[in-house]
Amino acid sequence: MRRRATLLALEALAFLAALWAAPRAGALWHALFPEVARPTYLQDPWFALLGSHLALSLGAVAIAAAIGLPAGILATRPGGRRLRPVLDAAFSLAQGLPPVAAIALALPLLGFGTAPTLLALVLYAALPFLRAAVSGLEAVPPAALDAATGLGMSPWQRLWEVELPLARPVLLSGLRLAVTLSVATTAVGAVAGAPCLGTPIVTGLANANPSYVLQGALFTAWLALLLDRALALLAAPLAPGEAP
Amino acid sequence: MIAFEGVFHRFGAVQALEDVTFAVPTGTLCVVLGESGSGKSTLLRTVNRLVEPAAGRVLLGGKDVAGADPQALRRGIGYVIQSVGLFPHRSVAGNIATVPRLLGWDRARTEARTDALLEMVGLDPATFRDRRPATLSGGQAQRVGLARALAADPPVLLMDEPFSALDPGTRRGLQAALRRIHAGTGKTILLVTHDLEEALALAGRIAVMAQGRLAAEGTPAAVLGPGAPEPLRRMIRPGTLALHRLAALPAAGAAAEGPAPGAPALPPGATLADALLLMLDRGADRLSFAGNPGRHLGMAAILRAAAP
Repeated sequence: MRRRATLLALEALAFLAALWAAPRAGALWHALFPEVARPTYLQDPWFALLGSHLALSLGAVAIAAAIGLPAGILATRPGGRRLRPVLDAAFSLAQGLPPVAAIALALPLLGFGTAPTLLALVLYAALPFLRAAVSGLEAVPPAALDAATGLGMSPWQRLWEVELPLARPVLLSGLRLAVTLSVATTAVGAVAGAPCLGTPIVTGLANANPSYVLQGALFTAWLALLLDRALALLAAPLAPGEAP
Repeated sequence: MIAFEGVFHRFGAVQALEDVTFAVPTGTLCVVLGESGSGKSTLLRTVNRLVEPAAGRVLLGGKDVAGADPQALRRGIGYVIQSVGLFPHRSVAGNIATVPRLLGWDRARTEARTDALLEMVGLDPATFRDRRPATLSGGQAQRVGLARALAADPPVLLMDEPFSALDPGTRRGLQAALRRIHAGTGKTILLVTHDLEEALALAGRIAVMAQGRLAAEGTPAAVLGPGAPEPLRRMIRPGTLALHRLAALPAAGAAAEGPAPGAPALPPGATLADALLLMLDRGADRLSFAGNPGRHLGMAAILRAAAP
């Protein structure tokens, strides 16, 4: 566990170093793309792109969680069980809409930039939270629920003290999925003019510059994989007897 | 005191409880005995309002439980279930402290109480306090379940098949612990089981349930008398009713004055069934009492007790 964390920290440092080196590695890009006149992406500082990429994708995850988790809790309460198929259908439909299409549909309403991208990402990332909340809460042992109620916990106390802590591993895997999806998908926001690691990709596509596309794709994918593994570490099952 | 007054309940088309009326006197360990589907667990769960009766009243200390706040009511009643239901994310001490925490006890008081309870249920506090439920055996887990139910010192304890999932040796150990705790604390205990042996080992009174109705209620010897109801007879091997009745009576109760020198000695706490088996085993018609040389037990006294 500690060793995996150390390796991951080292990889994160390597990622940041690569980001720092990218605009200084003109020789490398020239060697890879000899036919491209200006293969080194210098239009925006990479760290600024990384910052707005993270703000956009993690902001979307936070909003998606604020919608998906309460919906999942509602769908597992005795009174809300009837809503479950409706909620599941609505969230599935939201995710089924491709983010590019969502951005295109939102453009006339929300204009260019961050807002339509955020909306598209929230629609995309809410379903993992709903699904994780429902399956995590459904998997709580009935005996623990019976004991919690029988010992005099109110429904809220039962939720906070028993159900959510026991659903934690499943909730964390839902978070992991949502973060990975969101970080990888945020790149499409560049189409709507939201600055992010997708910006070099879109610029590269528009100017027939495969070197820009490669650089943007490389850092987007690397970031998604890094965060995926960081969250996997967080969600790792505890050894027996280990305190959470 | 727990009192059931004309309690009815149904689950869909199934009549789970039908006009159940009886009372459990304060300080009594009452065993509700019945086969699965007899309504015994449903009856138990009306006391802490996990089941709301369709008709009738359940009184606790003379007050209708329907008028109490459910959470406050349950915090004042110990609750033990067959599947134990320990919270896997909390330590043994954290589980036991559930109700004290809900009641807002301070930390020192809760910790002292937790250790005292672990001692009471026969677990060493230093060894078990910080263990996780996943590391406990079935018997240890249910001892913790019992400690958790007793944490806030409730006057009433509800136990739903608490020992049924345990192997026979472990079960006898927990039954002994429960008898000791009951003798030491004088709690009113309602315990549900399908096991007649267990009922005889524990009960001050037995309530027999069958198809949602109360088939019989009284002391074990009275319930097992010649007029024992059919549902109870079905639970035992045919022809053994009298032996079961003897198993419900302490041998000391049928003793007579006068020593019986050289007669086989009965251990303390033996029942009349134990006495009869000892007589058959040793070919004796008189027994002495270990530690009480002034009294003896004759075969005739056993015969009188067996046919009241």
